[in-house]
Amino acid sequence: MPNRTSGRRKFLKAAGAASAALAFPYIRTSYAAGSLSVGFWDHWVPGANNALTEICQAWAKKEHVDIKIDYITTQGNKLQLAGTSEAQAKAGHDVLAFLAWDPLEKASSLEPMDDVIGALEKQYGKVVPAMEYLGKKNGHWIAVPSPTGTQVKPPCARLSVWKQAAGIDFQAMYPAGQKPTAEAENWTWEALLKAAPKVQKAGHPIGLGLGQTTDSIDWVGAMFHSFGADLVDAKGNILVKKNDAVRQVLEYMQQLVKYMPPDVFAWDDASNNKYLISGQGSMIMNPPSAWSVAKRDNPKVAEDCWTFSMPKGPKGRFTPYLPIILGTWKFSKNKSAAKSLLHELWQRQNVEKMDNASNGYDIPSFQSMRDFKIWQEVSPPQGTVYHYPPREDQTPWVSGAPAPANVANQMYVQSIMTKMIAKCTQGGESIPKTLDWAASEIEGYART
Amino acid sequence: MSAVAMEARPAKRGSISKDRKKAMYWSYFFLMLFVLFFLTPPLYMLIMSLKTSGEIAEARFPWWVFHPTLDNYWSLLGSENFQNFFINSALVSLSTVVVTMLISIPAAFSLSRMKFWGSSTLAAGVFLTYLIPETLLFIPLFKIFSWVTEFTGIELVNHWWVLIFIYPTLTVPFCTWIMIGYFASIPKELDEAALIDGAGWLQVLTRIFIPVALPGIIAATIFAFTVSWADFLYPLVFTTSADQLVLPAGIVTTLIKGDVFEWGRIMTAALLGAMPPLLIYAFLMDYYIAGLTAGATKG
Amino acid sequence: MALAIPHQRVAKRGGLRRLARRKSTVAFALALPLIILIASLVVYPALYSLHLATLNKSMEHFVGLGNFEFLFKRDLFWMVVKQSCIFAISAVIFKALTGFVLAHFVHNIPTKKQRKWRGMLLIPWVIPPAMSTLAWFWLFDPSYSAFNWILNRFHLDNVNWLGEPGWARFSVILVNVWYGAPFFLIMYLAALKSVPEQLYEAAAIDGANWWQKIWYVTLPMMRNIISITVLFSLIVTFANFDIVRILTAGGPIDQTHIFATWAFKLGIEGNDIPLGACVSLFMFPILGVAAWFILRDISVRGNEA
Repeated sequence: MPNRTSGRRKFLKAAGAASAALAFPYIRTSYAAGSLSVGFWDHWVPGANNALTEICQAWAKKEHVDIKIDYITTQGNKLQLAGTSEAQAKAGHDVLAFLAWDPLEKASSLEPMDDVIGALEKQYGKVVPAMEYLGKKNGHWIAVPSPTGTQVKPPCARLSVWKQAAGIDFQAMYPAGQKPTAEAENWTWEALLKAAPKVQKAGHPIGLGLGQTTDSIDWVGAMFHSFGADLVDAKGNILVKKNDAVRQVLEYMQQLVKYMPPDVFAWDDASNNKYLISGQGSMIMNPPSAWSVAKRDNPKVAEDCWTFSMPKGPKGRFTPYLPIILGTWKFSKNKSAAKSLLHELWQRQNVEKMDNASNGYDIPSFQSMRDFKIWQEVSPPQGTVYHYPPREDQTPWVSGAPAPANVANQMYVQSIMTKMIAKCTQGGESIPKTLDWAASEIEGYART
Repeated sequence: MSAVAMEARPAKRGSISKDRKKAMYWSYFFLMLFVLFFLTPPLYMLIMSLKTSGEIAEARFPWWVFHPTLDNYWSLLGSENFQNFFINSALVSLSTVVVTMLISIPAAFSLSRMKFWGSSTLAAGVFLTYLIPETLLFIPLFKIFSWVTEFTGIELVNHWWVLIFIYPTLTVPFCTWIMIGYFASIPKELDEAALIDGAGWLQVLTRIFIPVALPGIIAATIFAFTVSWADFLYPLVFTTSADQLVLPAGIVTTLIKGDVFEWGRIMTAALLGAMPPLLIYAFLMDYYIAGLTAGATKG
Repeated sequence: MALAIPHQRVAKRGGLRRLARRKSTVAFALALPLIILIASLVVYPALYSLHLATLNKSMEHFVGLGNFEFLFKRDLFWMVVKQSCIFAISAVIFKALTGFVLAHFVHNIPTKKQRKWRGMLLIPWVIPPAMSTLAWFWLFDPSYSAFNWILNRFHLDNVNWLGEPGWARFSVILVNVWYGAPFFLIMYLAALKSVPEQLYEAAAIDGANWWQKIWYVTLPMMRNIISITVLFSLIVTFANFDIVRILTAGGPIDQTHIFATWAFKLGIEGNDIPLGACVSLFMFPILGVAAWFILRDISVRGNEA
């Protein structure tokens, strides 16, 4: 009996090794087979999921895989919860979408993806640095960027309001189809602060969220970094109190909030959209989903919208970057199918198809793909989102970077930066007290 | 005393009824105010559910609808997601009610009529399980179910039927408590008479107790159903995929596409989701209230 | 007759004794599902959470009371404790008051009409809280609040219902009172009806006004039911999750976080299960103390009776 089982075991091991070897040229020749369950991010833009579904089903048919697709929203942090509960239960989807810092935090449970990325980079060039930062642990890729959902949150403003009240013409500064003009160099945080009271007086204040959801956390993170106000450095040292720039950015915000509606502190991801679409707001920082809905519900507002680059800070121009990342659990039972699907999703024609369906919302993670026509075509007004995908003048930045992943993840989940701003503005606390509080909070984030 | 009272009463009769009348009018007035306060949200839900997205975005007059439309209703009833949520909720709630009754009625019978070691503590203590609320249990339960899933492969997370295991913890204590109150108030002579006539305990339970305590059972059933239908925390923690969600968790998370609001549809969904408990309540209101207050007057 | 009865009694006693012995096994068997349910899905997880609370974040090492030490040092923790207590106590007081007052009003109108009014007033409690809170959320919405619209008509400023800490706390308590007051109304109305009318008449003859009637007749008669409902409501309100989660998710600046929502944020969203368990556990002593006080009150009176 023992001999037979060990013999059987040896045979199975050999068979396993053989099939793994066969799976390696999985990209072109193998049939993935079996079943696969995937959990994608539920797209904000109405109808955008359909393109992804079609591509997956076409792939599934070709590969004889029984695919089950779930679209999981980030509303109420449902997607993040799915990641946590599946990691705990060691059961769930084969492929799941993650946000920002999650993959690094869960790296030990995720299947290495060097092979998938390697093949893709041969086709399309290197993955953008910001994504590489979040997808690689100890030099190995542990996830693959998601073609859908990865977004930046630059300003989207009402052209007519800004022209009339503040004398700033964003359309001229950031013309459709062309590079930003020289005037754009003057688009700084200072300029924003100077113009904010003017648009407020005109009855359309700016609305930049200071709540605890991703829309607020992302833009504040980019702003902090553009001031050089990193709270934690790459080694994990807490710089909150040593870094003067932190004080500066808080002082700046103490000024800016005066010109924003007082309820920005309670804004969730939908609030800034509602603010713009209702016609009240003159500027928000958001991907084009707000514009997409305005097109449907309030066309007069939509025709007046323009998306352009972030204001420049002392340390540069950084655009808030929120990547969606696809990972496969180590406990997945069909990793070869998962990898094959991920490879298929990133084929240029598929990426373009999905981006068209989302009206240009998704930012591809390969620089070579940032030239799709969709950004020029979307209208009205023509070219309204041409300057949405970040080009040479802006660097995408994830809120919390360059802190170590576990600290950055907590900084993100606990939305510490927006809370700091809230404390020293609405909360009425002094900046030194706020810094003390933040430092003690961040100490707690280093828990293991 | 009675002579004095009889003398006093005619003198006061006029003023009593005037006082009573005044009290009554003031009561109506305040009741109207409170009814207005209590019913504003549901009425608002109704108004919103009849509006198009465009009309909501316009925000001209939030308290009335100018171009009513049933589009939201049709689109929801036809939406696969919503149908799934509804079916899941119905399955979970009905199953929980059945399980709850199967546990509560025998237990209440046993605790109200029979004695075994610890039965009196249990009867008093069953209510104390509410001291350990779901918000304390959700984390360890989540971990326990995850652990079981990991080691046995039985997937106890992300399936709607997992809730059938957990919901009884919310419903059984209260239902048992109600039933104990009802059963205790049934005169002992009834069952002793039946016993002498040769009936077994099971027959006593089914032939006497259940029919006599039927109002209490109905009230407990309604309570169990309402609680199961409405629970939010456990589904949020235990179910993720859209096809496994129940109504409360589903409406709040998946139906609101955060960035892109569809508030007309959300209010419609909330209203439709509140319908089953409301309907049951509308038809069986008296049982419901009687059951709840059984504890008040008998306990 | 005189001969028959002793026979009967003997027969009864013998039969009952046999029955009594079988009784306890049957009784136990009938109560067994209940015992299993509570033991496995309530008591065991509660104890398990005690164990969880002693582990480190990755649940690989034992850290004893380290998590509690960590929590006690944080301001936010004590703020959550304070907020939870304020929230629970003030909400319960208002709910009880509202229910009590409403019960009197309903009691004062003709019995035939009472059913209709009572029916309308119970509706908030029947609607699943997750759904009605969504309606409140929209009513309080920064951009589209229907309440602010009314205020604006009267030339009053917008109220920042969910964005300003004071108003956010008010809103959360308001929704909770809206949801829970009907329960008190129903309970107190039933109890009111069971107070004998003669007591009121006797008090009236003694010259009592309405306030004294309530203080000396109504309240003493209702002490038991008031204690039970207040305790039940304290527990449920203290452990509330739905309303805060949907309205404010704990914000702004964590000023509306209560134990449940904060435990969810730390434990599930922050991926730190032991810490979340700690926070949840902290509810238990507070609830236990409240329960002890109130139950003691009831049993004392039980002994008196």
